[in-house]
Amino acid sequence: MDFDFNDEQQLLVSSLQGLFHNYAEIPPAGRGETSWFSADLQRRLVQGGFFDTARQVGTLEAAIVVMEAARLPVVVETGASALVAPMLLDEPLEGPVALLSGDLSKAQRLLPVAKTALVDLGDDVVVLEVEPADVEPVETMLAYPYGRFRTPPDLAKGRRLGAGAVEPLRQWSRVALAAECAGAAQSAVEFTVAYVKDRKAFGQPIGSFQAVQHRLAQCHQIMRALRYNVLHAAWTREPVRADMAAAYAQMHIQKLVFDLHQFNGAIGLTTEHKLHYWTFRLRALQPEAGGGDASALAVADKLWGAAA
Amino acid sequence: MEFAWTPEQDAYRQTLKDTVEELLPDNWATEIAPHSYGSKEQIAYSKIFCAEMAERGLLVQQWPAEYGGGDGDAWQQWILAEEMMLVGEPRGPQYMNVNWIGPAIMRSGTPEQKAEHLGRIAGGQVIWCQGFSEPGGGSDLAGMKTKAERQADGGYLVNGSKIWTSYSPSADYCFLLARTGEQRKAISIFLIPMNLKGIEIQTYPGLVGKGHLNQVFFTDVAVPDSMRMGEEGQAWEIITYALRFERVSVARFHIGRKVLDRAVAQLQREGRFNDTAVRVRAGRIAAMLEAGRLLSYYVIDQRAKQGSDDVNGNIARVSVSQATQELQAFIMDYTPDALTGGDYVLREFFRANLSSTIAAGAYEIQLNLIAQGALNLPRNG
Repeated sequence: MDFDFNDEQQLLVSSLQGLFHNYAEIPPAGRGETSWFSADLQRRLVQGGFFDTARQVGTLEAAIVVMEAARLPVVVETGASALVAPMLLDEPLEGPVALLSGDLSKAQRLLPVAKTALVDLGDDVVVLEVEPADVEPVETMLAYPYGRFRTPPDLAKGRRLGAGAVEPLRQWSRVALAAECAGAAQSAVEFTVAYVKDRKAFGQPIGSFQAVQHRLAQCHQIMRALRYNVLHAAWTREPVRADMAAAYAQMHIQKLVFDLHQFNGAIGLTTEHKLHYWTFRLRALQPEAGGGDASALAVADKLWGAAA
Repeated sequence: MEFAWTPEQDAYRQTLKDTVEELLPDNWATEIAPHSYGSKEQIAYSKIFCAEMAERGLLVQQWPAEYGGGDGDAWQQWILAEEMMLVGEPRGPQYMNVNWIGPAIMRSGTPEQKAEHLGRIAGGQVIWCQGFSEPGGGSDLAGMKTKAERQADGGYLVNGSKIWTSYSPSADYCFLLARTGEQRKAISIFLIPMNLKGIEIQTYPGLVGKGHLNQVFFTDVAVPDSMRMGEEGQAWEIITYALRFERVSVARFHIGRKVLDRAVAQLQREGRFNDTAVRVRAGRIAAMLEAGRLLSYYVIDQRAKQGSDDVNGNIARVSVSQATQELQAFIMDYTPDALTGGDYVLREFFRANLSSTIAAGAYEIQLNLIAQGALNLPRNG
């Protein structure tokens, strides 16, 4: 067991950070928006071959791609393209890829920018081309673009992957959402720690108060746990580890968002303050893949058998 | 980064499982283990078990060969901790000797102290207690009042008292901290036999299992210079080193998972594990225990590579504490009969974790250390 990145993994992180360096701020055109999708960075990730990482290097390395991207304030779609699609299909999908499930008349995450959708039908998975004209963007405080189909999509036009694709789709969707949570949580915690060192009240930095320190220490612990849960789930490729990583992430989102917003105060509710790019990404991921209770239930099913 | 056990680690774990299977007596689960690892019954058995383990080279495998070990690494120490915890810790309090008292003596003891103590610890025949906490002291370890006053004709005279001194009624030695000066951290370490004149022990009845709640009184206890470990006033540096091993030394997530499995098995037998609410709770706790496992493994990895884990031990401890608290709540919500004559494994887990957020550095102290060591937050002005 070795918790340090090897040379190849370190090189991957360095490459990503080099690429992401220019995307650490929301461009002027996006200031004040609740989210900003960077088509430019999405293209660069494709061109750089980062979405081939799972196939060519490994799933742990693909999870690193997702985590690092989720640390940015700008949005790119990495979870489905880097982790889910490569574990379901031999050939790459045209991205961005939206992961759809449930009631397709409702707004779905990333649908307004998606070229392809992977649709979980319960007993099958459909690969569906997405026509931008068919999608109506919806306004949201969540930090991803959301949109809904103007008319119900014709699933018959999609390619069916078969019942055997359902469980892998759910497994890697959970790893992907946990990886995005890990990256977003890391940035949100780091941002808040820097803020409480700077922001003064009662004549001293608010980060000097034990009431603040203890809650931030707990957030730091959660963030660290998220990271290793994800990497472990990606490395072992065991379905129950994916469920555990997602369950742990989703059950702690409420605490993370509460504490981190609490210490940023009202300024954290402005879209000029960057916190919301990460905290409302976490909020968006909270109900994904059925939500935290479904993830925990999946853990129970796998560890102790399904309910009688 | 990778998460595989090596073939050697797998083989070592299997050896431990086989050895435990062979050594534990038939009445272990019915007559010895239910008394908890601080009880006289389990302490007496620990001397038999640890001696056997020592004879097979399995008690201090991770120690350097010059002190009777096998030149193993931190992973071997951890695998040993997991396997022992899983069966109810048949080493009794001797886990403490192996994990941090021995290593502290190796690091800071005189040649005579090493000769006196390390062989006995490695032989599995000696019981230690730690004289740290004091009445009214709480988490303020440096505020201790027990004094070791230097005498004109040499040696020290120790006066004061220590409390919550687990295992002290059965202990052969005490790893004692005492004040040797007026400055706040002017504290020294003494390795003293418990049969010195002037030492008295009072035992308090309590909730946390036999052998744990004691008060040790020191009245004009004459302690020679040769029993002081390290220089006068050097205790802080030595115990800071030693307590890192104390913080993440018990594989609570490992026994936690076994306890959760047992609780679920009981619920299944009773036809009560089909309720979605119960299943979700159990799944969440399994995920929390797994998080604690990984953060603990990270600590062991750092120890194996660097010999130390700094603030990561605090992070792991906080994570495991949260998981074990949730598991205690699960036991009370769904298998409360564990506390009224039901499964003793659940009961003893519940009991052991009554103090796990207080002992070895309170939960809030762990959070303080994370805030300072990991987040570099300013101290309150």
